[in-house]
Amino acid sequence: MTLALVGGTHRTVPLDLRERLAFSAEQAAAALMRFRDRFPGREGVLLSTCNRVEFYAAGETGSEPPPAEQLVAFLAECRGIEAVQLGPVLARERDEGVARHLFSVASGLDSMVLGEPQILAQVKQAWALAQDSRTAGPLTGGMFQAALRTAKRVATETALGRERVSIPSVAVADFASAVFERFDDKHVLLLGAGKMAAETLRYLREAGARDVTVVNRTAGRAVELAARLGGRPGRFDELVAELAAADLVVSTTGATEPVITLDAFRQVELRRHGRPLVVLDLAVPRDFDPRIGERPGVWLYSVDDLAAACDANRKSRQREMPAAWAIIEEETSRFMGDLHHRSTAPVIEQLRAGWSETGEAELDRLFRRLPDLDDAQRAEIRQAFDRYAAKLLHPPLASLRSESRAGPPHGLLDALKRLFDLKE
Amino acid sequence: MLEFISGISVVCFVASYAVALACEVSRLAFRSSVRGAALVGFAAAGLVAQGLFLGWRAVNAAALPLSSPFDWYLLAAWLLAAGSLWLTLTLPRTPIGLFLLPVVLLLIGAAQLSSREPFPQSPATQIWGAIHGLFNLAASVSVALGAVAGIMWLIQAGRLHRKQPPLRGFRMPSLERLANVTSRTLAVAAWTAAAGFVSGIVLNAVNRQRGLLETVPWTDPVVLRMGVLVAWLIIADALAYAARRRPGAARLTAWLSLVSLAVLTLSIVWGVFGTTRHGMPPAGSSESAAEPSEAAP
Repeated sequence: MTLALVGGTHRTVPLDLRERLAFSAEQAAAALMRFRDRFPGREGVLLSTCNRVEFYAAGETGSEPPPAEQLVAFLAECRGIEAVQLGPVLARERDEGVARHLFSVASGLDSMVLGEPQILAQVKQAWALAQDSRTAGPLTGGMFQAALRTAKRVATETALGRERVSIPSVAVADFASAVFERFDDKHVLLLGAGKMAAETLRYLREAGARDVTVVNRTAGRAVELAARLGGRPGRFDELVAELAAADLVVSTTGATEPVITLDAFRQVELRRHGRPLVVLDLAVPRDFDPRIGERPGVWLYSVDDLAAACDANRKSRQREMPAAWAIIEEETSRFMGDLHHRSTAPVIEQLRAGWSETGEAELDRLFRRLPDLDDAQRAEIRQAFDRYAAKLLHPPLASLRSESRAGPPHGLLDALKRLFDLKE
Repeated sequence: MLEFISGISVVCFVASYAVALACEVSRLAFRSSVRGAALVGFAAAGLVAQGLFLGWRAVNAAALPLSSPFDWYLLAAWLLAAGSLWLTLTLPRTPIGLFLLPVVLLLIGAAQLSSREPFPQSPATQIWGAIHGLFNLAASVSVALGAVAGIMWLIQAGRLHRKQPPLRGFRMPSLERLANVTSRTLAVAAWTAAAGFVSGIVLNAVNRQRGLLETVPWTDPVVLRMGVLVAWLIIADALAYAARRRPGAARLTAWLSLVSLAVLTLSIVWGVFGTTRHGMPPAGSSESAAEPSEAAP
C-alpha cells in the first residue's frame, strides 16, 4: 500500500463534530509537523475546509503510510476528540480509491454545491501547507499535481462549473450581464438591507460596479450600510429620484407591501428618458409590483425567477456528471499506472547501469585495439553503442510500462531480476 | 500555384461556409471540444478561397472587384464572412456565424444569379463608379450587420423577458452592445446609401455628358429600388433617432433594422430579376446589343 486517506465530509460527519474537527491554518501546520515527527519518512497532506477534513498519507514500499486506525487516532488526538467518536463517521480509502477521491474533490464533484470552484484553491492551499511543513513528497506531489490537472480538464471539457447556482451569482452573471455590457459606468441602487444585497453587490463589484447608493427606510441604517458596503447613503423620501438615476436596483427590504407600485413607477419612468433598468427584487414579499416588469426597457427578476434559473443550472450540472466521472476515471487510471511504474525504477536503473558498464568495458577494449581512431570516430562508435543498448532495452521497458497500467508489475520485475541477475 | 488559384470555384467557398454554418447550428445540439477549431478552420478556408477567387477575377478582368454585379455581391459576402470570422475569434461563445453566414450564402446565391459581365468603363467614370459601388457596398453590409444585431437583440430580450438564463454555449452579446451596434449600423447604412445614390446621379450625369454609357432614366428599376431603399433607411434612422430617449427605443431600432434587411432583400430580388439600362453601353454602340445587365443595389 502506498496511499491512504481518512476523512469526513458534510455528508458523513454531523455539523457539531465537524466544527470540532476543523483545523485552522495554524492548527493544520502544527498537525503536519506532529505527523512528520510521529511517522518519519511518510508523506502527509491535510485538507480542512468548512465542509470536509481529510488526511492524505503516502509512503514508499518499506515505509508504508500508517494504517487507517492510526490516522483516525492521530486526527482525534490533534483536535482533542475521542477516537471512538470519530471512527464511525470517517471514511477510509486506499491506493486507487485515494486518488479517485482526491480527483473528484478537486473537481468539485464531492462538494455541497456541485462543481463549485473554491475547493480547487483549498486543495492547492493544503498542498502548499504540506510543502511548507515538509510533509509533502513525490507520491503526494504526483497525486496533487494529477488532481489539479483533472480539475482543469473537468472545468474545460465539461460544463460542470459553468452555470451559476447561487441566486446572487445568477442574478449578476446570467441576467444583469445579459442586459449591460459593463458596470463601471452604471449606477447601482441598493434598496433595503437584506442579507442577499451584500452578496449581490459583491458580484456586481467583481463585474466592475463602482457607483453604489444605499437607501433604507431608516436613514441611520442607510448611512451605516453605505459605509460598510462602500457606497453613498440615499434618502428614502427621494426614492423616485434615486430610481430615476439608477441603472440597476437590488431590492431586499422587509416591507410587507410593494415598495414601488406601478403608479409610482410611472413617475420614475417619466424621468428615465428610456434608459433600460434592471431590477433584482430579492425581497419576499416582493418590493416591486410585478407589472413593472412588463414596462418597456425594464428587466425585473424576483427571487422565484432567479431560483428557477438556479434549479435549471443545477440540473444542467447534474447532466455533466457522467462526463466528469469519465475524466476522473481516466486520470485515476493514468496516475495509478505512473505510480506502479515508479516502483519499477530501481530495477530499470540497475538494468541500465549493468548494460552501460558492460558497454563501456567493451568500448575501452575496442579503442585499445584501434589506437588510430580520432575523437570524432570514437564518438561515433560510442553513439552507435548507446543506440544499440537503448534499442535492446526498449521492449522490456515498454512491457513494464504497459503492465504497470493494470497494477504493480511484480511478475515481470521478478523475471527481469532473474534473467539479468539483478540484486535487490 | 496559378493553376491552383484558377481552379477555385464558387462551390469551394460555399461548401466551406456551409460546413462552418453546420458547426454553428450544432452548438444547439451538443458540446464538442473540436467544434471551435473546425468552425474557424472552415470559415477561414472559405474566406481565403473566396479572396483568391475575387483576386483572380480582378487580375484577369483588369478591373476592380466591383466591376460587375457578380463581383459586387461576392465582395459584400466576403466582407460579411470576414466580419463573421473576426467576431467568432473575439467572441468564441457567441454564435455569430449562425446569423451572419446565412446572409453570406444568400449574397453568394444572388451573385450566381447575376451578370458576370463587367460594366463598360473609362478613366472618367472609373472613379465615380468605384465611389458609387463602394458606398452601396458599405450600405448593404451595414444593413446586414444591423439586422443580425437586431435579430440577436430580439432573441436575447425574449429570453430575458421569459426569465430564461443564457443557453449553454450560446451566449449572446449584451442588449446594451447589440442596441449600440443596431443603431450605429442603421445610421451608417442610411448615410452611405444616400451617398451611393448621389454618387450614382453624378456618375449618370458624367456618362450623359461624355456619352460613355447609356443614360439611366429616373424611372429605371435600379433607380427606383435604390430610391426606395435610401428613403426607407433615412426614415428608419430618423425614427430610431427620434425614439432614442423613449422606453422601448432599442426594440424599435431592432425591428427597423430587420425591416431594412427585408427592403434590401426585395431590392436585390428586384435587381436580379428586373431589366435596366443601368451599366449599359450607349444605344447604337456595338455593346448595346448585349443582354441587359442588372446592377449593384
